[in-house]
Amino acid sequence: MAQSSSSEAKAGWLLVSPPAIYAVLLLAAPLATVLVYSVLTGEKGAVSLPFTLENYQELFTKPIYRVLMGRSLMISFLVTLATVLLAYPIAYYVSFYVKPSKKALWLFLITIPFWTSYIIRVSLWRTILGYDGIVDSVVMGLGLSDTQLNILSNGVASIIITLAHAYAPFAVLPIFVSLEKVDRSLLEAGQDLGESRWMTFLRVTLPLSLPGVIAAVLIVFIPTVGDYVTPELIGGGKTPMIANLMETQMLKQRDQAMGSAIAVAAMTIVAVISLIFVLLNRRFLGARK
Amino acid sequence: MTSADKPTMIEFKDVHKYYGDYHALRGINGKIRAGEFFSLLGPSGCGKTTLLRTIAGFEDISSGAVLIDGKSMANVPANVRPTNMVFQSYAIFPHMSVAENVGFGLRRDPRSKAEKAKAVEEALEMVGLKGYGARAAHALSGGQRQRVALARALILKPKVLLLDEPLSALDKKMREHMQVELIKLQRQVGITFILVTHDQEEALVMSDRIAVMFEGEIAQLADPETLYRRPNSKKVADFIGTMNFIPCEIVSEAGEHVTVDAKGLGRVDLDIGQAPPARGEAPVVGLRPETLTLLYPGQTATERATEGVIDEVIYFGDMTYYDVYLGGTDVEVRLSMRNVPGRPVLDVGTKVQVAWSPSALVLFR
Repeated sequence: MAQSSSSEAKAGWLLVSPPAIYAVLLLAAPLATVLVYSVLTGEKGAVSLPFTLENYQELFTKPIYRVLMGRSLMISFLVTLATVLLAYPIAYYVSFYVKPSKKALWLFLITIPFWTSYIIRVSLWRTILGYDGIVDSVVMGLGLSDTQLNILSNGVASIIITLAHAYAPFAVLPIFVSLEKVDRSLLEAGQDLGESRWMTFLRVTLPLSLPGVIAAVLIVFIPTVGDYVTPELIGGGKTPMIANLMETQMLKQRDQAMGSAIAVAAMTIVAVISLIFVLLNRRFLGARK
Repeated sequence: MTSADKPTMIEFKDVHKYYGDYHALRGINGKIRAGEFFSLLGPSGCGKTTLLRTIAGFEDISSGAVLIDGKSMANVPANVRPTNMVFQSYAIFPHMSVAENVGFGLRRDPRSKAEKAKAVEEALEMVGLKGYGARAAHALSGGQRQRVALARALILKPKVLLLDEPLSALDKKMREHMQVELIKLQRQVGITFILVTHDQEEALVMSDRIAVMFEGEIAQLADPETLYRRPNSKKVADFIGTMNFIPCEIVSEAGEHVTVDAKGLGRVDLDIGQAPPARGEAPVVGLRPETLTLLYPGQTATERATEGVIDEVIYFGDMTYYDVYLGGTDVEVRLSMRNVPGRPVLDVGTKVQVAWSPSALVLFR
């Protein structure tokens, strides 16, 4: 028994070592570099000693950082909310109303947006939302408005629309999986015990699918906070998010130390928020087993 | 049975159910009395669970009517029907504690929180789970889950409790224990219980009356003893317990009497009560194994006896089953003998006298 488990352990280490080495070289090492850079002084593309907390001091005192971090968090919060609210009914429909033989096809269809490059999808949104774009043509054609809405000019709104569309499939899948695991006889039991379909959903289906919802929240929230492409292309750079500021510091101002400090701060905030969700998730997972 | 004079709780009126082309229920008629322990018994696919689900409101019927306490259940959704169900899988809510599961149906109950908690505790006590309220539902054993499911249904004081194969997931010992507990519980609460089962023994043990179902129809609806002793068809006889079928010829039939000539048994006079309505099948007489007796040296038959040779001996501890060829025929009957001191188990090949009583025979034709 002991022998077989030790040889199993060896086999396990052997299996994980390539990705582990990969992760150390390409994830842990750069992360450590960023951490170290954040407490150095940066100038003209170089960093120099001594260790200092000046970067962080600036981060906490200059309002621009707070404004952009706040905007990033708000945008990803709204994107997450919109994505999960859109994804839940889709996942619910596929899980509860689509015939078992057709479910795989539906999931396949949900991945269609991924067939197109993100850059192209973003550009398409410009056409749809922009001045005299498709939305404007439809709204004005139907006589709902006399002037162009030009949603694109509202940076935050158009960033949210674009990101929510891009991340919806990522949210559908975990929610779908958790709904699939809900024993259907529980729903009959809920109704048998006197609850309507809606109350049964609220008291049984929804709580049992929360692990999937929380997974979806994490999957959408974490990458959108640091999104860089969308504000650049959709907002035309006029509605920058925190990642755009990092880019400016790192590449344009050539202050890699300041850029690193922003990165560390953003990472910490996202980590704390994610941890809260992970703890929530564990509470629900613990109850299910 | 004493329930004969009780009012009707459930009535089926020509209930049909189609799934596409499949005719799952083919004209179900029958009444279930208030306070009765009623079983729907049949092989898998006979429609017994479908019929139960039409009472609960989980299946719409294609035509006919289901009445509960005199009221038609057409367009009455499951959540407002006066029935509660114990599901085959028990359907215990995994994200809730035992007490939350049991109290699930009390949300709109106007009683105070403390009173509801007391009701939950009482319900748990009734099923033998006192003090289990705070436990997580997923940490329970199969038997405990079933008790929670029972408490959760009974706390709502339904007019009818529906049990969908509730014992099939339990091991044999536990199952026998729960059978007795369920009977006691039913007597205690006085609610109409309707049990779906494929286990004929379980149905015989527990029920006041049983409906035997085959292929979407009720083949026979009777109390356990009638069902066992006087099955109305060969199929029912074969499904309930073991029965020997012996080919026979009908010699004469007049008024209250039928005379048959059965292979190996000879001429037998039967009462018309022993001959259920004819179905146009080849005539056979049926005999239960325990109505046949081996005669040991010194014993004589009180009624009739037939010679035979033992072909097979199956020893069960308390019982021994013998397969015996009836003298001079290829008819083999199975008979069971209780093993008592001084009565040795006989060997294969022994010539024996088999005693039987004409009144134990049933004629199928």
